[in-house]
Amino acid sequence: MSQESARSPHRRSTGLWVLIVLILIPPVVIPLWVPLYDKTDPTLWGFPFFYWFQFLLILCSAILTVIAYLLSLVADRKDRGADR
Amino acid sequence: MNGVAVSVLIFLFLVVTVLGFAAARWRRADLNSLDEWGLGGRGFGSFIAWFLIGGDLYTAYTFVAVPATMYAGSAVGFFAVPYTIVVYPLIFLFLPRLWSVSHRHGYVTPADFVEGRYNSKTLGLAVAITGIVATAPYIALQLVGIQVVLQVAGFGGSSGFVKDLPLIIAFVVLAAYTYSSGLRAPAVIAFVKDTLIYIVIIVAVIYLPHKVGGWDHVFSTVQSSFASFNKQNAGAIAAKQASGKAFITPPIAQWAYMSLALGSALALFMYPHSVTGVLSTKNRGVIRRNAALLPAYSFLLGLIALLGFIAVAAGVKVTNPQQSVPQLFENEFPSWFAGVGYAAIAIGALVPAAIMSIAAANLFTRNIYRAYFRPNATPQEQARVSKLVSLVVKLGALVFVLALSKSFAINLQLLGGVWILQTFPAIVVGLYTRWFHRWALLAGWAAAMVYGTWVAYDQASPVQKHFGSPLAKFPFTDTLVYIACTAFIINLLVTIVLTVILRALHVDPGVDATSPGDYVADVDDPRVEPEIDPHRPAHA
Repeated sequence: MSQESARSPHRRSTGLWVLIVLILIPPVVIPLWVPLYDKTDPTLWGFPFFYWFQFLLILCSAILTVIAYLLSLVADRKDRGADR
Repeated sequence: MNGVAVSVLIFLFLVVTVLGFAAARWRRADLNSLDEWGLGGRGFGSFIAWFLIGGDLYTAYTFVAVPATMYAGSAVGFFAVPYTIVVYPLIFLFLPRLWSVSHRHGYVTPADFVEGRYNSKTLGLAVAITGIVATAPYIALQLVGIQVVLQVAGFGGSSGFVKDLPLIIAFVVLAAYTYSSGLRAPAVIAFVKDTLIYIVIIVAVIYLPHKVGGWDHVFSTVQSSFASFNKQNAGAIAAKQASGKAFITPPIAQWAYMSLALGSALALFMYPHSVTGVLSTKNRGVIRRNAALLPAYSFLLGLIALLGFIAVAAGVKVTNPQQSVPQLFENEFPSWFAGVGYAAIAIGALVPAAIMSIAAANLFTRNIYRAYFRPNATPQEQARVSKLVSLVVKLGALVFVLALSKSFAINLQLLGGVWILQTFPAIVVGLYTRWFHRWALLAGWAAAMVYGTWVAYDQASPVQKHFGSPLAKFPFTDTLVYIACTAFIINLLVTIVLTVILRALHVDPGVDATSPGDYVADVDDPRVEPEIDPHRPAHA
């Protein structure tokens, strides 16, 4: 398959990219796992669980995406170093 | 009519108009090239991109429609939140590749990429047409958003033409500065729009619950009001003449909630206007950084959705649920701040409408006009055509909303989501592998388009005979899921099966115009030849 060669020629960062993808899996999977949070209790500041949990998910996935971004900077630096 | 509120609304609209025209002078460049007019010179940094993409994805219609569904008693409408959570990791992973290959080859639209990757103008055309027909009703819905605000503000007279005049003026002005400034206009206006929206919503979610008795009270009022509605209308609900109301997603609708979130997330960045926003950034890092920063808007959207519940608790009574939030502003805010609220929604409609019309115009110019009629069109000619088409698209949207029924636009928007998702295999899978055969992709797309349209047409609701719901029973089951997802599965199945067959028969797969390195190239990457000159015409 062509993407093999697309990824490999200059890449030292494959391990890091695996880590980045792993970090990005929960923000995709957990919001879609509806039975996990589709309930009223426990409430928080008057918010049913259904609502406050999803707000919390926004925060958590934003944090994970920031981490993924920082790791991608490291990965890019590694790759560029490999070319010089 | 609320004089103070309307004056504030008009004042802010005028400010935005001046900014829209002045945008032509910002980062001055020759606006007679498509890269400059249609992609802002591909030079936007993180800060601008955040406002532009945020302003682009979270449209006025979203701000009106999402709380409207909550107000109307469908907690499933809150799927907008998981949808906008799921979308960013996907953008983070997929779109930098699209950015790189587009930068390398001067692609302006997603259809350009598909055409180059699969060596198929026909597949490019399919992607382009899907993009245009999915975007057009979306633009029309932005007008619906403005209309709702104008109605609540009591703007305009009562007779036909006078009533529509403010909307017509707003759109003519929008068309004029989009024509002259291109993508720079919405980029500049997005600052104003988002600042207004953030102020209004933060004030609204702090001040309003406090005023009506706290969040606790909001949720319990909603719960009891929905429960009593269900009790009173138990017969009608059982007979499917009315829909039951639910304050959190009922267990039976969990698949619906999940598939709406997933399908919409996958569809979102297939829309030409989101691709336009992404391609206007100056490097790969901007896209990734924004994927981490844009969830701030998701938080906002969640709060806006809950405004629908606050409206219930505050005793807002409107027959058209879309008016619930503007009416809430009207009832609960001082006049001048209600005006700011109206302006936030109305201006919120202008930014996406501008970007969408630019994106649709670029698709027409690149993948229909240039591909089929004028292969040698110069960049100047392409920019000229795009500018004109952006006017036509907006005019079409205006006629749509004024002449045809509003529910027609909403139906088509529902179909738009179903349709646009069907370009995913060609675009996103194409970013990773060229294993799919071009004709298999075309067949999968066609099968899914037909299936999706037909099933959506077939859905009745208590108020409509056709296009009553984005949900339909998954084949051979009784579970309701988002039609776009079912169609997408059919699309993939057809594509995979036909790819195996066509490959076995050695049908010509065409020549790939891209090379593996193109997908990871960045501006300051030593591997990238100094080809990336923003002033150099695309495909020179």
